Amino acid sequence: MFHFFSNKRLILLLLGVILLVALISFSLRDRDNVSLPEQLIKDGVGAGQMVFSGPAHFVTGIFDNVDSLLNTYQENKYLKSRLEEFAGVQSEVTGLRSENEELKALVGKKADMRDYNPIQATVIARNPDQWEEKVIINKGSSSGVLENMAVMTAQGLIGKVTLTTPFTSTVELISTQDPNYRVSAMVIGGKKDVFGLIEGYDSERRELLLKRIDADIDIKEGQQVVSSGLGGIFPKGIIIGEITEVAIDEFGLTKLAYIKPAAEFSLLNHVVIADRVMPEVDGEDNGETAEEDAP
Amino acid sequence: MMRYLILGIGLVLFFMEPVFGLFSPLKLDGEYYYIVPRFLIMFLIFVSVYFDTKHAMYYGLFFGLLYDVFFIDIIGLYSFLYPAICVVAGYTVKTVQRNLFVATLLTLVLTALFEFVLYQFFTLISLTDVPADTFLATRLWPTMIANSLFLFVLGWAFKSVIVGRLIEREKNPSAY
Repeated sequence: MFHFFSNKRLILLLLGVILLVALISFSLRDRDNVSLPEQLIKDGVGAGQMVFSGPAHFVTGIFDNVDSLLNTYQENKYLKSRLEEFAGVQSEVTGLRSENEELKALVGKKADMRDYNPIQATVIARNPDQWEEKVIINKGSSSGVLENMAVMTAQGLIGKVTLTTPFTSTVELISTQDPNYRVSAMVIGGKKDVFGLIEGYDSERRELLLKRIDADIDIKEGQQVVSSGLGGIFPKGIIIGEITEVAIDEFGLTKLAYIKPAAEFSLLNHVVIADRVMPEVDGEDNGETAEEDAP
Repeated sequence: MMRYLILGIGLVLFFMEPVFGLFSPLKLDGEYYYIVPRFLIMFLIFVSVYFDTKHAMYYGLFFGLLYDVFFIDIIGLYSFLYPAICVVAGYTVKTVQRNLFVATLLTLVLTALFEFVLYQFFTLISLTDVPADTFLATRLWPTMIANSLFLFVLGWAFKSVIVGRLIEREKNPSAY
């Protein structure tokens, strides 16, 4: 053991540790863009990863199919009961939609925050150590993916893009513990829409926290929470989840709600990135838009 | 040919980890269990034990760097820990007898240590607020069980490949 710590090696070790701390602190900073060598490595590894994730998705697809085949009877019963309801709802939707179009034409409103161009992508990898909730998808800036865009599945919002390279992008899921991760959201289903911020995740309850809701406003369990689009980048109306509990926050000034996410975060496969049609505001969709005008 | 086989196996394991990571967390009885595939570091420890610590360190540095850049964007974490674990493995094995049982045991202990160091690091930079007992119950145990299954199945294969490479090197030292 003594031999190991000879002078030369000790110096090397020290230098190594210094370099290490420097590198870690460099990369822990919030970086706006990825340096070129990093981009090359990411794209290279991403290409290799796609070769491996393709067959894996195929196999899980088979299991999913078998699983849904086993549940067919119960699902069919449930769906039949919903079908009668559906006809009514559909005629109502058609009516509302045409009315909405007319009204929009009347006031001359062209762009809607709800409209977005979907970019289809496949999850090629999930950070295997699972400390950070990140997944890598196979579309990058060459397909028009930009940082901070909303990422969702058919069930609801799952996260936002944090880094892009030409052919891959990193998505941070909303179940992250990152304190800087915010999504502007609103509660619908009441008399008025209530605005708040999704901030933080309770890993024991596996529920999101909706904070900064005005204490005077009444919100109830079971109400739906969707993205508000006020952060500047997300489109409006992406389903986030459902309120399960309402509480007063730690300072007693605003309300806090626990939200059960609508989307499943495990076994992600196909995701959709929402490229909003309305001009995006330079911000992070964290409730603090920058001063500059839209690009 | 054996020379490239070790690197090849390393690459395959590196790409397989995130694919298996997609299956986690596992939900059993309403409780979530995180299984972290640690195939690569287990293979590198085997390389370090049976072949050469120096080579294992270089491989560790290479794969650690890829891992850091591609997955966690904190450069210097895995690229330090992978070689460090290989060094510890190399030094430990000099003092004990070298057989498959010892190698497997050592690998599992070091993988658990690796996992624990990572947990400490992520707690330090406050990326996680999981208490230690939850970490043990929902992360470390499931991870270790799954990885030991993997190692029991494939450990002998690792060993035969690496020993094969060792024999090749001893036969033909000039090419090395």
